[in-house]
Amino acid sequence: MLREIRHYTGVYLRFMSTCFAAASTYRLHFMLLIIMDQLFYLSMLGSVDFLYNNVPKIGDWGRDRFMFFVAFSLAIDHLHMSFISESFWEFSYDIRTGKLDFILLRPLNTLFSVFARQIRPATLVNFVTPWGVLIYFGLRLSLDVWAWVSMFPLVILGLLLLTSIEILLSMLMFWTVESMGINFLRIQLQTISRWPDFIYQGFAKRFFTLVMPVLLIGSAPVYFLLDHSRWAGLIAMGAALLMSWLLIAFFWRLGLKAYESASS
Amino acid sequence: MASAQLAKWWATIRISWNKQLSYKLNFLLLVIGPSVVFFFVKYSLWTAIFRLEGIGKIQGYDLSNMLRYQIWSLIVALVAQGYNSMNLAEDIRMGRISAYLIYPFDFWSFQTAGFISFQGLQLVTVSVTLLFMFGLGFLQHLHVPDLLSGLAFSLVVSFFWYQVSYLIGLAAFWLEETWVLRVMFITISQFFSGAILPLEVYPKYLLNILAWTPFPYLTYTPVKIFMGEYTGSLSQAWITLLAWMVVVGLLNRLVWQRGLRLYTAAGM
Repeated sequence: MLREIRHYTGVYLRFMSTCFAAASTYRLHFMLLIIMDQLFYLSMLGSVDFLYNNVPKIGDWGRDRFMFFVAFSLAIDHLHMSFISESFWEFSYDIRTGKLDFILLRPLNTLFSVFARQIRPATLVNFVTPWGVLIYFGLRLSLDVWAWVSMFPLVILGLLLLTSIEILLSMLMFWTVESMGINFLRIQLQTISRWPDFIYQGFAKRFFTLVMPVLLIGSAPVYFLLDHSRWAGLIAMGAALLMSWLLIAFFWRLGLKAYESASS
Repeated sequence: MASAQLAKWWATIRISWNKQLSYKLNFLLLVIGPSVVFFFVKYSLWTAIFRLEGIGKIQGYDLSNMLRYQIWSLIVALVAQGYNSMNLAEDIRMGRISAYLIYPFDFWSFQTAGFISFQGLQLVTVSVTLLFMFGLGFLQHLHVPDLLSGLAFSLVVSFFWYQVSYLIGLAAFWLEETWVLRVMFITISQFFSGAILPLEVYPKYLLNILAWTPFPYLTYTPVKIFMGEYTGSLSQAWITLLAWMVVVGLLNRLVWQRGLRLYTAAGM
C-alpha cells in the first residue's frame, strides 16, 4: 500500500513537472491565463458587490455571508481549474482520436492517468484572489477556530464532489462522438453550483440537490461553516460521493466496451 | 460573375448548415445550453431577491419587469452572442488555411458563410424560444415594431460579435491557443454589457466609462429596444455600434495581412 502511494506520488510529481515545463514554453499564453482567471474572479465578486449596493439582504444573507460563499466557490474553482479541468478536454480528444489506447496500456490506474494528467500552472499561481477574499470575509464574519480548521478540508470535499459528478458526466463521451458539448454541460453545472441553493426553487432545487447534486458543492460546506448545527448537508455530500463512484465504476466498464478505439 | 459568386456563398452556407446539424446534441449543449443555463441562474436569482426580501422595486424594475429583461437578454444572447469561431484558430495553427489561399473563395468569405448559416439556425432557435415564452405566459405583450427593431439591432450586434471572434481567431498566427482570449472577451462583455445585471444597477462612474465602449450595445441596448423602453438616442446607438464594427473590420484586415507574413503552413 505504502509502495503504491509512493509510486503514484512519484508519477504525479512527474506529471506536474512536465506541465510546468510546457507552461514555461508558452509564456504569453501563461500570462493570458492569469489575466483570464483574474477577470473571472473579479466579474463574479463584482456582480455580487453591485447587487448588494441595491439590496440589503438576499434570503437571510447580508453582503459578507454572500461574498464568503462566492469566495468559497471560487476557492473550489481555483483548485479545480489548476488540477482537474484540463484533463476533461484531453479525455474528449483521447476518445475521439483513439489516443486512449495508449493510456489504457500504461501500468497505472487508467482513471488516475486520465484525470490527474493535466495541471494548469498559470491558475495555480493565481491563488491570491480567491483564497485572499475567502480569508478576508471569513475574518469579517468572525468565524470560530473550528470553522477555520475545517475550511480547507471542506473546500477539498466540495472539489471531490464536483470532480466526481463531472467524471460521471464525462462517461457520456464514450457514446457521443463529438464531446465538446459534454464539456460545456460540465461548465454549466459549475455555473449553477456557484450560487447558494436558496436562490433556486421547486423542481430545479430538488433536481440539483438530489439527482445531480451540484448545489451541495458550495452550499452544504458553507452552511456548516456558518452554523455548525447544519452538518446534515455534509453527510449528503458523502452519500453523493459514494453514489457517484459506484456509478462511475459501472459506466466506466460499460464505456470501455463501447469505445471504438479510433484509427487503430 | 455575380451569380457564380452567389452560388459559392449559397453552397458554403448549405454545407455549413448540414455540418452544424450533424452533431445535434453537441449543437444543443454547445450553443443553446450555455445561454439557457445562464438565463436559468439569473431568473432564479432575481426571483429569490424579490420574493425572499419582499422588495417592490430595484432601480425602477419590479419582479415582472426584471424577468422580462432577463428573457429578452436570453433572446439577445441567442441571436447575437452564440458564434465562437472555435475552428478558425485551429485551421490557422494546423496549416489548413493554405487551401483557402488558392481557392476562388477566400478564407473570410468561407468563415462568414459559416457564420450566416449559424445565424439561420439561431433564428430558428429564437423563434421556438419566443413561442415557448409566450406559451408559458412569461411574455404577454408583443409590440411588433419593437420586435423588428430589436431583432435588426441584435443581428448587427451578432455581426460585430462575429468580427471580434474572427479577430480573436486570427491571433492564432501569433499564439498557440486563442480560446483564452475568447473566454476573456466573453467574461468582460457579459459583465459590462448588462447580461448579468441591468446596467441601472451599476455605479454611475462605471456607466460613464462604459458609454465610450461597445459593451452596453451588446446586451443592454437591444434588450431595452425589445422591451420598448430604450430611452437613449436610437440613431446614436446604431452609429456607435457601426463605428465599432468599422474599427474591428479594419483591424481584421490589418491582422490578416500581418499574420499571413508569419504563416508557416504547418504540415505542407
